[in-house]
Amino acid sequence: MKDMVSRTGNDTLLSIDGLTLDFRTNRGRVKALRDISFPVRKGRILGIVGESGSGKSTVLWSILGLLAGNADVTAGRIDYGDKNLLTLDAEGLRALRGEEVSVVFQDPMTSQIPVLPYARQMSDILYRRSMSEAAKRAAAVDMLRRVGIPDPESRVDAYPHQFSGGMRQRAGIAMSMLTGPNLLLADEPTTALDVTMEAQMIGLMRGLRDDFDTTIVVVSHNLGLIAEMCDDVVVMYAGEVVETGEVHDIFHNARHPYTRALLECDPARIADVTRKLPVIPGDIPDLTKPLAGCIFAGRCQKAMPACVTTAPPLIKRGTGAARCHLLEGPLADPSWPPAPEVPTVARDTGTATVRGAAKGEPLLEVRDLNVQFRTMGALKARMNGVARPFVDAVLDVSLDIRPGETLALVGESGSGKTTLGRTILNLQSAAGGSVRFDGAEIGNMAERRFKPLRRDMAMMFQDPVGSLSPRKSVRALISEPLLIHGAEGRDLDAEAERLADMVRLPRGFLSRYPHELSGGQARRVGVARALALNPRLIVADEPTAGLDVSVQGETLNLMADLQAEHGLSYLIITHNLPVVRHIADRIAIMYLGRIVEDGPAAEVFAKPAHPYTRALVEGVPQPDPDRRRPPSAAIEGEVPSLLRRPKGCDFATRCPLARDACRVEKPEHRQLTPDRRHACLFPLIDTQDNKNKTETP
Amino acid sequence: MIPYLTKRLGLAAIVVMAVLLLLFSMLHMIPGNPAILALGTRATPEAIAEYTARMRLNEPVVTQFFHFLGNAVQGDLGQDVFSNRPVTAIIAERIGFSLALICTGMGWAVLLGVPLGCLAAVRPGSWLDRVTGIFSVGMIAIPSFLVSIWALLLFSLELRWLPAIGAGEPGDFADQLSHLVLPAFAIGLGWVGYLARMVRASMLEVLGEPYIRSARAFGLTPRRVVLGYALRVAILPTITLIGMGFGGLISSAVFAEIIFSRPGVGKMIFDAVSDRNFPIVQGGVLVATCFYILVVLISDLLIAWLDPRVRSSL
Repeated sequence: MKDMVSRTGNDTLLSIDGLTLDFRTNRGRVKALRDISFPVRKGRILGIVGESGSGKSTVLWSILGLLAGNADVTAGRIDYGDKNLLTLDAEGLRALRGEEVSVVFQDPMTSQIPVLPYARQMSDILYRRSMSEAAKRAAAVDMLRRVGIPDPESRVDAYPHQFSGGMRQRAGIAMSMLTGPNLLLADEPTTALDVTMEAQMIGLMRGLRDDFDTTIVVVSHNLGLIAEMCDDVVVMYAGEVVETGEVHDIFHNARHPYTRALLECDPARIADVTRKLPVIPGDIPDLTKPLAGCIFAGRCQKAMPACVTTAPPLIKRGTGAARCHLLEGPLADPSWPPAPEVPTVARDTGTATVRGAAKGEPLLEVRDLNVQFRTMGALKARMNGVARPFVDAVLDVSLDIRPGETLALVGESGSGKTTLGRTILNLQSAAGGSVRFDGAEIGNMAERRFKPLRRDMAMMFQDPVGSLSPRKSVRALISEPLLIHGAEGRDLDAEAERLADMVRLPRGFLSRYPHELSGGQARRVGVARALALNPRLIVADEPTAGLDVSVQGETLNLMADLQAEHGLSYLIITHNLPVVRHIADRIAIMYLGRIVEDGPAAEVFAKPAHPYTRALVEGVPQPDPDRRRPPSAAIEGEVPSLLRRPKGCDFATRCPLARDACRVEKPEHRQLTPDRRHACLFPLIDTQDNKNKTETP
Repeated sequence: MIPYLTKRLGLAAIVVMAVLLLLFSMLHMIPGNPAILALGTRATPEAIAEYTARMRLNEPVVTQFFHFLGNAVQGDLGQDVFSNRPVTAIIAERIGFSLALICTGMGWAVLLGVPLGCLAAVRPGSWLDRVTGIFSVGMIAIPSFLVSIWALLLFSLELRWLPAIGAGEPGDFADQLSHLVLPAFAIGLGWVGYLARMVRASMLEVLGEPYIRSARAFGLTPRRVVLGYALRVAILPTITLIGMGFGGLISSAVFAEIIFSRPGVGKMIFDAVSDRNFPIVQGGVLVATCFYILVVLISDLLIAWLDPRVRSSL
């Protein structure tokens, strides 16, 4: 496949050719990368996009020669200048790393050594330069200032744990840019960050590319980030490159069925919120014995018998290429690819229909709920003269959930949304306010009395695999809630099978253990556990976190179907706004423990009243390179610490529209329409205007 | 930092108090008259009366305890039953021998065990790793008194390379050192194994951390990655182990001092127990306890100094 794209030419900085790599595991040799070829053009940003298991990060680590010990490169070359990086000796590779090729890591929380200050970490990176220690320090300070760390002269002596997540990733970018590398590799650089931070990082990296003329390769599963940031795109699936091209061609004129499917599954692209989310059926193939033909054939909607047996041809277009039988040859389909509006992925046909507005008495009623965390002991507080040794993690929260309704609680990390969910489930004691379930007060109830209520209120935990005991089989996990709540006279095996059917988990999976499940399957086990006792309310903490786009839709459709069948109410805690638009009837936006705006989801999305809501809605990068935002669109700063809650409006420190009054007066919750409230002194829509709008249906 | 130290020292005081109480009640829990226990059944009534008066054994137990406590706080741990010399003076002249033994024993174990663990972790599965693994388990499994006896038999009696008993001539450093070699070897050997295993395990864990991959990705030399980054983190749990190890070495030292007839605190306590010389036992155990508390405190402070995350939570 040397001809996938021309690797001769002066504009190519790095060229990967026929890279093939196996991992030796106890399941046999996993053929993780097969015949990977693409060039990286000088001065451009190349995005490698793919779902988990596609091998996109493995490509990145092959470039640096930092593969895991069980990796075997069996074929191919990676050319950088006149060197083949795969045959370069350790000395040669080390000379390149950090100086010419540098890296931004995925999780700034774990990728920076905790025991050394940034000054030391950064001067260590410059160890090859004959500079004085003072000059190295000055260089570190300059770079920290460039990436937007305030007061870098003193912050350079800080340790990583003294920085917030966003600051750490800025420092991580500063470390990678310190030597002025030619090539910057970024491995999921924003995955660990919030939406507003993500937008800031995208702007920062694009700015650095322009200033330092650095070529960037960014690996991500986030289509919005790829569209917003990249010039060229490589789409990977199950260890193969299925399509390459310029960003506009990929997003507007994708030619490979997988690329099409991936784009169609992204909830941010789907404007129509009444229909169910599309999914790519099936799972990633077993890479210990990949198919002879097209790797995607098992899940492709357009698959033909020949696709399974015959490798697809590589069809070039401009600087890109795609590998599919539909494009050329005897199996070519002139109607492929269809126009972008035409769906190519099957929409799940379930029982759920268009949601009607839920009516009736609220199932859950929360009024003025407060949750406080102690910051110091009572004695220490008295000695230091601190009158209130608490922080308000949840402040004056009121919300209602009616039967059959979905309320989404949205906010960045540290907004108190998980604490609120835990308090509603009586897993955290409240300092004030009331929680009523089905008309009865349940706040701060003793666990002994609360236990029968746990049948009615179930929790779906954030980490689908981590929240399952690794020593229990799926059957035991699913029937566990029944055991805890006394299942006398019930056939647990039959119950487990009933629940497995309900969440569409094949019965054969009942004897498996959590580590043998994919993320989506583990998520379905979590749903089955939540459903075991026929609850009326499910609190779902980040139900789509860690799931690939193609599986995300499956989980959400399942939740919607179950809601329609059983009249469930959901409280969904999430930071993923595109998903919220599809599943929530109403949303509540939280900031620093307070709800700053709530109302019907469609209305809040269409016309946010609070500037923070607008910042969140606009903060999601759009999977469309034609809708890139200017770097200035990102709101600045970070969520302040609860210990330093601003005096006036909580959001005043970051609000682009803040006036003097905002910094003095704490805005009360105001009713905008009968079912919409906000807490802003100067809302983006005035009450009169909105009243007129909501009167017309 | 200051509140932390205050808290730690307060806790240490409580532990010392508890030990004092235990030591004191030990004397009174043994059935029989303490005076007869101390002086033997053939002691004259006069000697028993004199002893009872001197030790205030006829006073109420609570009064006796507070008297004992008050004296201990002032540095008076009582007198030797036989020589009537102050216990503190006796301990003072012997503690140097014990400290030298314990510190040398732990010292060589650290100097050998830590590098061995590092080398084994850098190349897991290599011959060095396997040999270290086998020897570690072997060294941990053999009790130090057995090592003492074997070392004595082999190096002193058979090969005659090193002296067998005593602590050497006072003032003659070389002679004292040659007397230190065998007992220090004997008590440290097991700790080479413990430390090698501990360092290997925590190094292997740290070497798999993302920040080590970061350091490699920035092109740092393998030497700097292992010594400057990985070991810097991996050593932290090892420091706690070393601190606790000093406690274990105090008891190993008792055996070594008996076998090699070293005039240390361990041998002193052993002799005092056989002679039922309770003031010496009390004083010796108290000093050992204080030493242990001090070493653990130092190791905790060392960790705080090396780990900024711990430091900022103090």
